[in-house]
Amino acid sequence: MKPAKPFILLGFALLFAAIYLFPLYWMYVTALKSGSEIFAFPPSFWPTDPQWQFGRIFAEHAMDRYLWNSLLIAVGTTVLATLIGTGAAYALSRHRNIWTAVALFLVLMLQVLPPSLMVTPIFVAFSQVGLLETPRAAVVLAQTAKVLPLYIVLCRSTFLQVPRELEDAARVDGASRIGAFLRIMIPLARNGILVVSVLIFLQSFGEYVYSRSLIAAETLQTATVGLSSFMGPNTNDWAGIMTYAAIYVTPILIVFALLQRRIVSGLTAGALK
Amino acid sequence: MTSAQIRQSMTDRSVNSHPARVATAPSPYPLPQGEGEDIGQARPPRRPTLHRIPLLRTLRDGSGFDVVLVLCAVGYLLVFAAFPLVYTLVMSLQQVDMFSLASFDRPFAGLDNYRDVFARPEALQILKNTVIFVVLSITFQLSIGFGLALFFQQPFPGATYIRGVFLAGWIMPALVVGAIWKWILAGDFGVLNYALASLHLTGGKIFWLSDPDVALFAVIIANIWLGIPFNMILLSVGLAAIPRDLYEAAEIDGARAGRRFLHITLPMMRSTLGSVVSLGIIFTLQQFDLIAAMTKGGPANASNVAQYWSWQMSFETYEISAGSVVAVLMVALVILVAALYVRSTEREHAA
Repeated sequence: MKPAKPFILLGFALLFAAIYLFPLYWMYVTALKSGSEIFAFPPSFWPTDPQWQFGRIFAEHAMDRYLWNSLLIAVGTTVLATLIGTGAAYALSRHRNIWTAVALFLVLMLQVLPPSLMVTPIFVAFSQVGLLETPRAAVVLAQTAKVLPLYIVLCRSTFLQVPRELEDAARVDGASRIGAFLRIMIPLARNGILVVSVLIFLQSFGEYVYSRSLIAAETLQTATVGLSSFMGPNTNDWAGIMTYAAIYVTPILIVFALLQRRIVSGLTAGALK
Repeated sequence: MTSAQIRQSMTDRSVNSHPARVATAPSPYPLPQGEGEDIGQARPPRRPTLHRIPLLRTLRDGSGFDVVLVLCAVGYLLVFAAFPLVYTLVMSLQQVDMFSLASFDRPFAGLDNYRDVFARPEALQILKNTVIFVVLSITFQLSIGFGLALFFQQPFPGATYIRGVFLAGWIMPALVVGAIWKWILAGDFGVLNYALASLHLTGGKIFWLSDPDVALFAVIIANIWLGIPFNMILLSVGLAAIPRDLYEAAEIDGARAGRRFLHITLPMMRSTLGSVVSLGIIFTLQQFDLIAAMTKGGPANASNVAQYWSWQMSFETYEISAGSVVAVLMVALVILVAALYVRSTEREHAA
């Protein structure tokens, strides 16, 4: 490869990124357009008369309630998956034998199950045992089962990077297994655990299938379901819909931008190893 | 070190270090009380009686601790993932509808549900749609992702940063992505129709979401957009792992870029490509939100795929047994692909 023309390459890179990110740009631009400007043809690529309707859409569509429900479900899922998954990830990183191979295989197999197919038996079973009485908790339980395998796989690769000698030293000094785990291994793997938790938090914050299928009461619905009911069959308020979408995804994009580098490295380490 | 050596050294370590631990720290302490103690502080008082209880000792000092941790997670997954899996299979053989939903004693239907689902007029079309959906999505995600990965492999200022920007598409909730694409692809006022018309690529407006001939492709376009970043990043990792000196040697031998790609890049990327394709199939078969946001499978099942159909039968028409039948078949397919994926990554590690 010749070292020439790096700035031409940079130009192309920016062009590719601009083309790829056009849908995001279009969401924000449409959100700022007026009700009549969105139906202009040819469409305008910059709002001629920018409208600031974020507050109105937020209030009219009860987004505080929807976002609160999404947040509850995402927090619940993240906490539950972290509690259950961290220890398993640690234990699976310590040994390499037939049993850990079997456990890892099981975890990987359960990671791939499509939620839209799993939701049928989950719905029936949950309604039989009465879990649908507390629908948000039901979504948390189902969504945790969905993200837990990914959490374990990614977290395990974090624990693999912690030198085992540090734990052994603590054990020689008299720490119990659980003491060494809580006071040595978890602090050392803290950054990795945090990144993986953020990742499953963001995923659960955008969850749709389980919320749509398991939650009947509208007041308990999540922001995804709110958006899909906003997009009813005869809707024309695309400026409003894009405003809703922008309010919903902007925090996700900000969190992601802050942690982007780490999320990428954590993700790639887990998916290929 | 080969993996066999590593395994050997690991077993050596556990064999050797365990007696040493017992010798230096002979303080078997019941697990709950040991939780809060500080390392390096005063040792807990000796409890010789507890020392003799092997269960407590293995929990505190041995691999019993690991077993308990793994069992917590595996137990959770068995209850909330493996059990539903078995339950779908059971329900696909039973007669389940709104009336027998709550009962545990449902009439057995055997393979009638399967016959019923396959006899439906839409079954063949949905099967065909699913295959087209997967094949086209994977083909374009992979080739565009591979092209971008190769492009960003070249040295230029900001390469890693700009590459990272692409992942914004991957982190977006798919339902929101579907909403945005529905607006971009709108027939009368959509920006894509405008772009195509101004480039003189199309004669008239394409009604992407309501024309049965193109609705499936509309969903595929959105799904390709969603899958590009993931493909690109995984393939970039694979490319970065190819030793530079292979290329240098080939260049000295006079191999041109095309030949270097065919004879070095592709063979070295084989296992990565295998993983990416199988993960792509798995994720494409999980895709639900895009279809829900864009077409809901319509018009007249033109853009319906199996995973959405299964959900429709269970939650819109309450034919839960029929929904379970499709779920069972699809899950079997997904698990097969996943098993191939896991096997290919294992072989990669053995090599």
